[in-house]
Amino acid sequence: MMEQAPGTRQRVDVLRPDETPLRVWLHRLRQSVVAGFRELRRSRTSTIGAAMITFLLLVCLFTPALVTHDPIKTNYRERLAPVSAEHYFGTDKFGRDIYSRVLVGGQRTITISVLAVAFGMVLGLPFGVISGFYGKAVDAVAMRFVDGLLAFPGLLLYLLIVTLAREWKLEGFWNDLILVFALGFAFAPQVARLARSTALVEARKEYVEAARVMGERNIMIAFTQILPNCMSPIIVTGTVRLGFVILIIAALSFLGLGTSPPTPDWGADLSAARDHMESHPMIAVFPGLAICFSVLAFNLFGDGLRDLLDPRLADR
Amino acid sequence: MLIYTINRLLQLIPVVLILTVVVFGFVQALPGDIIDSLGGQEAVEDPEVRAALEKEFGLDKPIYVQYARWVGKIATGDFGKSLITRRPVSVELLERIPATIYLALVGIGLSLVIAIPLGTIAAVRRNTKFDYGAQVTSLLGISIPEFWFAILCVLMFSLYFPILPSSGYVAPTEDFAKSLWYLVLPAVAVGFRQAAFTTRLTRSSMLDEISKEYVDTARSLGLPEWKVIYKYTLRNALIPTITISGLQLAALLGGTVVLETIFAWPGIGLTIYQAIQLRDYPVIQSGVLILGVMVVAINLMIDLLYRVLNPRVQLG
Repeated sequence: MMEQAPGTRQRVDVLRPDETPLRVWLHRLRQSVVAGFRELRRSRTSTIGAAMITFLLLVCLFTPALVTHDPIKTNYRERLAPVSAEHYFGTDKFGRDIYSRVLVGGQRTITISVLAVAFGMVLGLPFGVISGFYGKAVDAVAMRFVDGLLAFPGLLLYLLIVTLAREWKLEGFWNDLILVFALGFAFAPQVARLARSTALVEARKEYVEAARVMGERNIMIAFTQILPNCMSPIIVTGTVRLGFVILIIAALSFLGLGTSPPTPDWGADLSAARDHMESHPMIAVFPGLAICFSVLAFNLFGDGLRDLLDPRLADR
Repeated sequence: MLIYTINRLLQLIPVVLILTVVVFGFVQALPGDIIDSLGGQEAVEDPEVRAALEKEFGLDKPIYVQYARWVGKIATGDFGKSLITRRPVSVELLERIPATIYLALVGIGLSLVIAIPLGTIAAVRRNTKFDYGAQVTSLLGISIPEFWFAILCVLMFSLYFPILPSSGYVAPTEDFAKSLWYLVLPAVAVGFRQAAFTTRLTRSSMLDEISKEYVDTARSLGLPEWKVIYKYTLRNALIPTITISGLQLAALLGGTVVLETIFAWPGIGLTIYQAIQLRDYPVIQSGVLILGVMVVAINLMIDLLYRVLNPRVQLG
């Protein structure tokens, strides 16, 4: 999985010298994937997490094939139906199939979360690497800026942005895009901080010196040599962050600040389920379980991955 | 220490500046005319009234002058008037702050009472059933959305076993026993998630301390194990725990919006939520600003306290 895995570091290329570059590349890729899996199996936590994430992503991918009903089609003859063979998770107060709603809502939530975390990384990583690599004045100014952003209470920022989105009557795709932007932007300073501290250490290593001797330009060293070496802590944080982002999206839509009603959404569905909680508690169970499962998947995987990538913490 | 304190206070300036710009920008970014947003329903048609209002709000001036005047007003405690109740926003918000602080403090206190023993025992009895149990529980705790947990608690203790009130608030100054009664469920909902965080943290910092050399020294001197653990190790291990709990307290002030909504807890979070529903922009604006400043101030205090508690930390 990762370049740092011990198995890959000591690999011996058994290729003939006249192989094409593509084949060499493929060969190495295969070896690192195999070594990655071997590493992954060493940590039970990350194996379970990886299995859960794989399941989650597969379900998201095949959602169109898995849904049994139209998630927004109301059916007043089957309001608040219990769990049955027809409706796996029962139906809500409008007679909509909860199973289908959980699936479709999940697809949307997971997509937004992944995009948001990726956006935060793309924004924060170069910022942090440059700050750590150049150091001195650049670093001081950049980090003060990051400190300022880090001190800003996240949920309040989301509330403001989501309120704005509502006032501008942004719906569907644009509303989701705003979420991706807001959640990603709030993650960026953390990434920058982390990348910077790794880059500070990496910038003093010999391979950087070697690259310099070879006449590589500074900016190229920063992005082609140092940046890849800063990835592992960021991947761990990003994985854990994915779980956190899912929670935030659910909380915002629970408050009624997510997408507008008929769209299936875990948080909004939970909020709607409160009206019928006394008589039909089951409608409040499945969206909640779905959130729990996804967040747990990313937390488990992130935990295990951190143990694997940082041997110092391994036995904790 | 004095220089460090001054330094940190100076660092607050950009943070607060960013806060004010974001909050000011929020109202500017609202769609439509600001007079329509700030002036409520009436006084939109008549051009003379419009002109008068524009003058009153200072909208005839360029935007940076408006910003400067707004900051100037805020510095003197004038946050404007609520569009709904027509009362000064500062009064409206200040009377809501104690409830939020009350809930956050009790929640954090509860989490520490649970988490410190749990984390310590888990670390001391590492890799036993107890340890695994604590780890799994805390992992679940950070993966469960708090609003879902809160709903389930209400379902359990207010509906199935009606022993606790599902929502409401009584000030502790009014009737202390009754106020505790209403506090139980919200505090448990806050405390559970926090306890999960803190348990993980206590466990890992405890493991960190146990592996240090002074522990071996203490043991080789023949000190009883409980004394080594509870008198020497735990004290050091608690420094990060307490620090993070302090930071969590700050984060909670801005993060209890969801729980306050569920439990109808009349704190500042609920106020902001209601203001968002009613489009009461001055209240949203000032509420976020006040909460933000509080969060930043508490963070600073915790940071300074940390340096006092742990003189080994380098100042700078």
